[in-house]
Amino acid sequence: MTFRTFLYYQSTIVMASSMIFPFYILLLKNVGNNYAQFGWAYGIFALTAAFCYPMIGKLSDKIGDRILFLIYSWSMAVLLLLFPLVSTVWQIYGLQICMGILSAVQKNTEKTALARQVKKETAGGEIGKYHIRISVAAAIAIILTGYIVDFLTIASIFYIGSLIYMVSSVMLMTKRGGKVKDVTNN
Amino acid sequence: MKKRYLLLFVCSYILLFSASIFTYNIKLSHPTASDSGQLLPVAVKSIYPAKGEQELKMIIKKANINEDTLSIAGMQHSQGGHTMYPNGILIDMKSFNKILKFDLQKKLITVQSGATWEDIQEYINPYGLSLKVGQSQNIFTVGGSISVIGHGRDIRNGSLTDTVISLRLLTPEGEVIEVSRTENEELFPYVIGGYGLFGVIVDVTLQLTEDELYVHNNEQLNYQEYATYFKNEVLGNESVKMHVGRISVAPETFLSEMYITNYTLAPNQADLDQYNTLKGEPIIAIPKFFLGLARYSEWGKNIFWDIQKQYNEKTDQKLESRNNVMRSDSEFMEYNSVSKTEILQEYFVPIDNFEPYIDSLKRLLEDEKDFNLLNITIRYVGKDDQVVMNYATDDMFSLVLLINQGTTKKDIEETGQIVRKMIDLTLAHDGTYYLPYYPYATKEQLYAAYPQVEDFFLKKKIFDSNERFSNMFYKEYSQ
Repeated sequence: MTFRTFLYYQSTIVMASSMIFPFYILLLKNVGNNYAQFGWAYGIFALTAAFCYPMIGKLSDKIGDRILFLIYSWSMAVLLLLFPLVSTVWQIYGLQICMGILSAVQKNTEKTALARQVKKETAGGEIGKYHIRISVAAAIAIILTGYIVDFLTIASIFYIGSLIYMVSSVMLMTKRGGKVKDVTNN
Repeated sequence: MKKRYLLLFVCSYILLFSASIFTYNIKLSHPTASDSGQLLPVAVKSIYPAKGEQELKMIIKKANINEDTLSIAGMQHSQGGHTMYPNGILIDMKSFNKILKFDLQKKLITVQSGATWEDIQEYINPYGLSLKVGQSQNIFTVGGSISVIGHGRDIRNGSLTDTVISLRLLTPEGEVIEVSRTENEELFPYVIGGYGLFGVIVDVTLQLTEDELYVHNNEQLNYQEYATYFKNEVLGNESVKMHVGRISVAPETFLSEMYITNYTLAPNQADLDQYNTLKGEPIIAIPKFFLGLARYSEWGKNIFWDIQKQYNEKTDQKLESRNNVMRSDSEFMEYNSVSKTEILQEYFVPIDNFEPYIDSLKRLLEDEKDFNLLNITIRYVGKDDQVVMNYATDDMFSLVLLINQGTTKKDIEETGQIVRKMIDLTLAHDGTYYLPYYPYATKEQLYAAYPQVEDFFLKKKIFDSNERFSNMFYKEYSQ
C-alpha cells in the first residue's frame, strides 16, 4: 500500500462514514423512544471501541494495516446493509457494538499507518496536510448527503455508503506495494 | 488467486446487497396505521384487525356494550381523518381481503372490502378481464375507494358507483344487510360515498369488463385548446377509452403548457397476449430524484417538467394493456421528511369553465410564492347523480394538486388560507372539491359544494343514532 493509495483509501472511507454518522441519528430517532436510549446507543458504541483498542493495536503490529483496513471496509459494507432493516432498539444496540469494534479498527489503523509513513521531523506538516484532504472529503460528503436524504430516503444513504465501502475494499485489494508496507513485510 | 478472492467478495456482496434491498421493500410495503397526510395524528384506543365476519360482528357488539366509537381504515390514503376518531377503536380492514366469488360468464366478482384493486387485477388478469372503473393507482382497498367514490382514467364506463352491483353492510346494530339498487335501496346512495359513517362494508360485488390493448396517443397542447380538444378528439372519438393529462406547475410554463395521453383501442387486439403481463413497480430512483429537485426549487420544477414532457413524447405509440394502465406507479411519490409532508387537493370544474378557471387559478397562485405546488394531474369525470355526496355535478375535469407543506401549526394555517381561496375560486366556476383530503375547507364551503350534505348527516344520525361509527371528518363538519 503506497501513501497515495492510503490517502485515496482514507478519503473514500471518510466520505462514506461522514455520510452515515450525522444522519444516522435520524434513524435512531425513528426507532428509539427516548433520549436515554440515544445515550445508551452511543455509550455502547464508545465503550466497545475503548475495550477493543489494545487488542487491535497489537493485531496491527502482527498482521499489518492493509489487512485490517480490508476487514474494516468489507465489514462496514455488509453492516450498512442491515441498517435500513432495523426496527427495534435492541437491533440498534447490536449494530452499535459492531460499529464500535470497527470504529476502533479504523481509528487505530489510520494512526498506525500514518505513524509508519511520516518522518518524525516533519510529522506535524505532513499530518496537517493529510487532515486537510480528509476533512474536505468529509465536508463534501456531509453536504451532499443532506440532499440525498431529502431527495431519496434515509435508507438510501446506507446503501450508497455501503457501496462506497465496497469500492474502497476493491481499491485496496487491487492496488499493491509501496512505502506504507504491511509490518509483516518489513 | 487474489482475483478469485476479489470476485468471491464482490459476488457475495452483490448477493447481500440485493437481499437487503428486497427485505427493505417488504418492510416498506406494510404500511402502519397512520393517515398518509401526517397532519392529523390521532391517539386511538386500540386498533383491531378485521379477521373475519364473525370477528367484525363481535367488535361492533362489544363497542355497543362499552359505548366505544368505531372508525374504519383501509390503506388510509384519505388525509382528512376519515379513518380515525380520537380515543376510538380503529378497525383495520387490510387483512380482510379474500376474493369470495367469481363469475367469468357474467363478468362479476365478489371481494371482501379490504381487498385492494391490485388483488382483483391479479386474480382476473389471467381470465382476460379488467376493472370497469378504477383509480389511477391500484393500491387502495375496494371498501375505501367505494366510501370515497374514487375515480380514474376511464372515460367510457361511468363512475365507480356504476360498477357496484351490490354490497353487504355491517350495520351499527351488528347485523349484515344486503344493499343494492333493489334491496335496501334507500341506503345505496348513502353508503357509496359514505365515508365509513353507515357501517362496515363487508363485501362488494363488482361488474368487470374485457381487458383490451391500448395504444398511447400523446400530445402537447396549450390549456386554452384543451376543452375543445377534449370534447372533439377525446370524448368525440369512440376509440379513445381512457385519458389523463398534466398541466405545468413549472415557473416558465406555469398553468399554460399541458401534455396528455389518450389510451386508444389498438388496431390489433390479438396482440394483447404479448402485453398482458401485469407490470410491477419500475426502478424509481430517477423520477424520485427529479421530483426531489422540483420540491426544492423553481429551476428543479422547470427541469422536472421538461423531463416529463420528453418522457411523454418518448412513450407516444406505446402499447399497453388496460389492466396495466390501471396500475400506474406510485412509489416514486412516497415521501419521508421529518418536518414536511405532501398533501393532495382535488377540484372538479365543468369542462366549459376550464379555461377561465385556469386563468383565475394562475392569478391566484402567482402571488403565492411560498406555496410549493409540485404537480397537477387532470382527468375526466362524467356527470353522476346516483349518490348523495356527489362531486360530479356536471361533465367535469378533475384537477389533482400535489402540494409540499410543513407540518407545524403555522404551515397548516398558511396552506389552509391558500386552499380556501382555491376552493372559493372553484365554487365560483360551478366546481366542487374532493372530500377525502385534509379538511382545510370551511363548513360553508362544504355546504356550497355538497348541497345535500345536510341530508347526508341527517340520514347518518337516523341510521346510526348512537354514532357508533364516526371519524374526524364527521366530527369536524357535522356539528
